[in-house]
Amino acid sequence: MKKRTLAVVLAMAMVFGTACSGGGGQTSTEAPATEAAKDTEAAKTETEAAAETEAEAPVAADTEITEPVTIKFANYALLEAGYDVYWNQLLDEFAAANPNISVELVTAPYGEIVNTVVNMAGGGDKVDLMYGELDWIPGLVEAGLAAPVADILSSELMSDIYPNILDACSIDGIAYGVPMYVSPFLLYYNKDLFEKAGLDPEAPPTTYDEMLEMAPKLAALTTDDGNKVYAFGLTTASVPVSGACLTSSVHNFGGTVLDADGNLAIDDGFREAVAMWKKLYEEGYNPENSKLKDLRNLFALGQLAMYYDQSWGYNGVSSINEDAQNYIASAPPLKGGSGDGASVLQAGTLMVMDNGDDLRKAATAKLVDYIMSEEKISQYFEEVTPAYPSRQSMEDLDVVKNSSILAGAAGSVGNVKPVTFIPTLSDLNLEICTLAQAVTLSGKDVDTAIAEFETAAENVINQ
Amino acid sequence: MEKKTRVRKIHMTARERNDRIFAGALLLPSVLITVIFILVPVVDSVLKSFLDYKVKNIISGVPGTWNHFANYIKLFNSGKLGMAIVHTLIFVVGVVVAQFLLGMALALILNSNVRFTRFIRSIMMAPWVVPTIISGLIWMWMYQPQYGFLKFLIQQVTGGMVTDFAMLNNPATAMLGIAIAALWKQIPLTTLLLLSGLANVSEDLLEAATIDGANSVGRFFHITIPSIMSVIKITVSMSIIENFKQFPLFWTMTGGGPDNATTTLAILSYREAFVSNNLGSGAAVTTIWMLLMIVVVFVYNRIFKNVEMD
Repeated sequence: MKKRTLAVVLAMAMVFGTACSGGGGQTSTEAPATEAAKDTEAAKTETEAAAETEAEAPVAADTEITEPVTIKFANYALLEAGYDVYWNQLLDEFAAANPNISVELVTAPYGEIVNTVVNMAGGGDKVDLMYGELDWIPGLVEAGLAAPVADILSSELMSDIYPNILDACSIDGIAYGVPMYVSPFLLYYNKDLFEKAGLDPEAPPTTYDEMLEMAPKLAALTTDDGNKVYAFGLTTASVPVSGACLTSSVHNFGGTVLDADGNLAIDDGFREAVAMWKKLYEEGYNPENSKLKDLRNLFALGQLAMYYDQSWGYNGVSSINEDAQNYIASAPPLKGGSGDGASVLQAGTLMVMDNGDDLRKAATAKLVDYIMSEEKISQYFEEVTPAYPSRQSMEDLDVVKNSSILAGAAGSVGNVKPVTFIPTLSDLNLEICTLAQAVTLSGKDVDTAIAEFETAAENVINQ
Repeated sequence: MEKKTRVRKIHMTARERNDRIFAGALLLPSVLITVIFILVPVVDSVLKSFLDYKVKNIISGVPGTWNHFANYIKLFNSGKLGMAIVHTLIFVVGVVVAQFLLGMALALILNSNVRFTRFIRSIMMAPWVVPTIISGLIWMWMYQPQYGFLKFLIQQVTGGMVTDFAMLNNPATAMLGIAIAALWKQIPLTTLLLLSGLANVSEDLLEAATIDGANSVGRFFHITIPSIMSVIKITVSMSIIENFKQFPLFWTMTGGGPDNATTTLAILSYREAFVSNNLGSGAAVTTIWMLLMIVVVFVYNRIFKNVEMD
């Protein structure tokens, strides 16, 4: 009888344990908050209730936060070496300056942060702020998560963002993100390798034709330990950001991928760009099927003479080889065919989500103001990675003006074409990668590969 | 007969009744867990595969709408479904067969009287305890075409004649590259299971066969294999299931590329559901995937139907 009782008790314990195991929250860490803030949870609940009754009232971004409030900030960069120190320090300073605002961090690796945020929201737990890529906006808007930034952020901040940059974050004229910093896909090149190949290190190529003339001399080089040097790197591996970079290459040739209505619009510029991808592969100039981080590795090791990257790719390069600052230089994107070397805008973007609580919105606005302050942006450019500011008031930032790394590509941020936002943009970017792999690794001819791409892309666009 | 049964029921003793209640109580947790965590999600997923159901439906709480099999029609028209099924089957068959043969070979070696058997057994399990994503990353670095270990090794072995070796970048070899990583990770468990089976093969039977003149091959096929058939059945079925649902290695190492050469049902399902945020379409892939797995497991069980599980 005792054994039976014990068995039943254990069985019940198992059911109870299983039931309890579903009650965990998301994996998150909490930024330092005052004990007072933690102790006044009841006050917070009352505040939330009051806020709900006035949910439709406009948010005063400059509202002083007198009640304890907790906001959730999703940020993958906190897990990335080279970025984590900056972000942790920023959040510590913000917590010290705003004792009533507690910032709960939601972290996940770069590739998983969107799903983490979406899954949390599916369970009724929305984050208030998210840091990520510009291209994540359409998916988050379609999911009903990203809110119009003008509804939450301060008007002072909004009016200071360059209008064309705000346009790049907009769907149907409504901005859903505020870029912390921006960059086109610019050309990084290795001055030492240029010199070694008998080329002028101060005269990088301006067109694809010029690049193809220089490439054989660069490709003939080897590193000191006998490894091959690649002349030109263009990412083609199956990750969405590679698709964005390839789209930028299409724009270099004056081509388009999507028209303004989000329909596939393959033109001559598109075909010329695809033919160039094939040529680069066949000549052995481009490291095959590489991710951006692979190209950064090769560039840091002196095995790559030129490559396309966002300006903040420098962080990846310098974290591998500190000496990179002595040989790295930038240039505007190359012009191809009848194109003018236009690129696509890339941005480290802050996206806000509306939890219907004015206090949380005000606290979120305060955090965004802090992140976007001149002091913090300057510090970011100085300590983390160079980039271009998105605020007009920071046009003359010394750290940007004096950046030897960005100097060569100055002005290229003004020559960007907006990407038409469709909800399945990430998947479309993966199809563009598949197209690049088809003409390179699979050896398909350009027309066949484009025909296959059209079928696949139409399928993705018409989800 | 019916009368007899009724009489037995009527005369069920209190002890028998209590035993039944007790057995039911013990079974209840398992039944509840199976229904809540397996049956309900499976049925829910199948239902959603017939709906226009996206992430916004979850967040807004708006139910999906019936879309006249549009998810399935789109998948069949895209041409990707057939390709993903073929890739999945090639991977499963290839890895399961290679895993069994290599695992059995290793188990036979470890079951013999070779030196350092205990040491080998201990270190052999290391790949199995490494998380799958980490395994994927390790092998990615091994295969890295410019500075990977495999490239270096081949360059050295061929005296510098082969300098360009990129297994994951070639559509013809990418699947093999992932299969090698899967085998590296999974063979230890297969070996361990088969080894436990080999340890229980009757020494008397083997000795009798030797006296009767059976050679080692004959003893292996006529005594060892039949003796461990139940272990083999479990081991192979575990391997089939493990490789059918293999996702982390594919996503980490190739993302389904190059040129869709490693796009399996797992990759297709993930892209539909979590890259395109079309959960209905992702559920349609999953439903087909599940049906395919049921067919494979059914066929497998038919083949092994005479094996006694003891």
